[in-house]
Amino acid sequence: MSGLEGIPVHIQSAPRAVASGNTQAILAELETALQALLETGREHSIDLRSLPLLPGELDYLQHTLGTGEVRVEVDALGKSEVQETAFRGIWWVTHCNTADDVMAEFIEVSFCPDIIRAQSDDVRESLDALSVRLAGEPVSNQNCRGEGEPL
Amino acid sequence: MNRRLTVAEQLAKQGVSRRAFLKFCAAAASLMALPPGMAPAIAEALGKRTRPSVIWLSFQECTGCTESLTRSHTATVESLIFDMISLDYHHTLMAASGEAAELARKQAMEQAGYLVLVDGSIPTKDGGIYSAIAGVTNLQMLKETLENAAAVVSIGTCAAYGGIPKADPNPTGAKSVQALMDEGLVPRKPVINVPGCPPIPTVITGVLAHYLTFGEIPELDNLGRPTMFFGDSIHDRCYRRPFYDQGKFAKTFDDEGARKGWCLFELGCKGPTTHNACATTKWNNGTSFPIESGHGCIGCSEPDFWDAGSFYSALSMPTTPLDLAAGAAVAGAAIGVGVALANRSKKGAAKSAHQSAGLADLEK
Repeated sequence: MSGLEGIPVHIQSAPRAVASGNTQAILAELETALQALLETGREHSIDLRSLPLLPGELDYLQHTLGTGEVRVEVDALGKSEVQETAFRGIWWVTHCNTADDVMAEFIEVSFCPDIIRAQSDDVRESLDALSVRLAGEPVSNQNCRGEGEPL
Repeated sequence: MNRRLTVAEQLAKQGVSRRAFLKFCAAAASLMALPPGMAPAIAEALGKRTRPSVIWLSFQECTGCTESLTRSHTATVESLIFDMISLDYHHTLMAASGEAAELARKQAMEQAGYLVLVDGSIPTKDGGIYSAIAGVTNLQMLKETLENAAAVVSIGTCAAYGGIPKADPNPTGAKSVQALMDEGLVPRKPVINVPGCPPIPTVITGVLAHYLTFGEIPELDNLGRPTMFFGDSIHDRCYRRPFYDQGKFAKTFDDEGARKGWCLFELGCKGPTTHNACATTKWNNGTSFPIESGHGCIGCSEPDFWDAGSFYSALSMPTTPLDLAAGAAVAGAAIGVGVALANRSKKGAAKSAHQSAGLADLEK
């Protein structure tokens, strides 16, 4: 055997950040969606998993949309990351499972993605739980820093 | 029997918050290839549905479909879906064995309306004796189990179309679930075909999730496949499609075109005639799919793909004139035993001399 360097094959890196018909179409869709958000308040979402995108195209999109002011990490059934892009109102949302594999990836157009907002059923349960605690708990400073048991 | 919990109740019992449920529904919409705007509808539907009982029957198969499903990696969605169904019988996965296992199937069958999943084809020759479980032939077991079923999902190309057991000369008289119904050998029930050898794991779970969520059969194509996953051909969704349109083709697996990722049509890619979700859903947790790894599609989600000629013969009818492809197809058809043997030795010679192997060398 002459060693690996004897084999006349070299790795060509995957193209980085490629603009293509796909990426232009997505950007145009986002433009329309932003306009609709302003005019009618209608939210929009693009499922990146449903498109035949290549890594280079995803990089291009990420690069073009950039990074904005808000980054939220949600810990629900695994991590979710909500990153506002440089275009305010366009959010890059990545849902991971408990093993940190990406389950779904969306570009959302909204004033605030739903996943960040507390849901009214959860708020109702919180209210009940807090009321029970206030009624039944002896006064103690132990949990005053928010380290109490979760629901 | 206890009242079955609705899916939402089941999740709440596991301490899943509404926010997490919302995330689950968004991921489920993606999994089911539904528009993201459907997530609230999914949440609403799951609030009403109860956990259905599922009986999984494995017949003439290689267990590849079960492997595909159990080795899928988007753990949270899949595991939640499997928490949502009550998988009462699966002879590979269940802890019980022997008579206890068969008893579990019989008990699950007492309450009508369960879902039957089948992987593997069913032998019919010589009274179906070529495959039996606990002394019961596959044909008999399918007949019994379908009696009170709500619907059946044929998982994999074998159950959907006969697959490799049915390939020429089909020694066991293997048939698909649909074929048996058409011949009146088993009770007729709604059938969803989820072909593939194996099917993409997220497609299996996506189809199940759709049924669980909406309680109905999704829209099917003329071969009984859900259009949400099988509506487009591999070719139409392929990232190499622009090269096809430009007439840029790889001629061998190691030429300039192959290195540049050009279209694999002339190397026998069956993408234009194959309907599946590989090009978008991809495999191994969304890593890639065969064409992205440099090999043409073999058409495993289509009926009789094993007998449809060599995997390395170009499809005979390109939509634009391609002299080379036509030539390759003619060469493929003309190859006899002698030529095949000659090619085999040529392939061996090429290998030992470390030369490039061409299309003809790969022919059977």
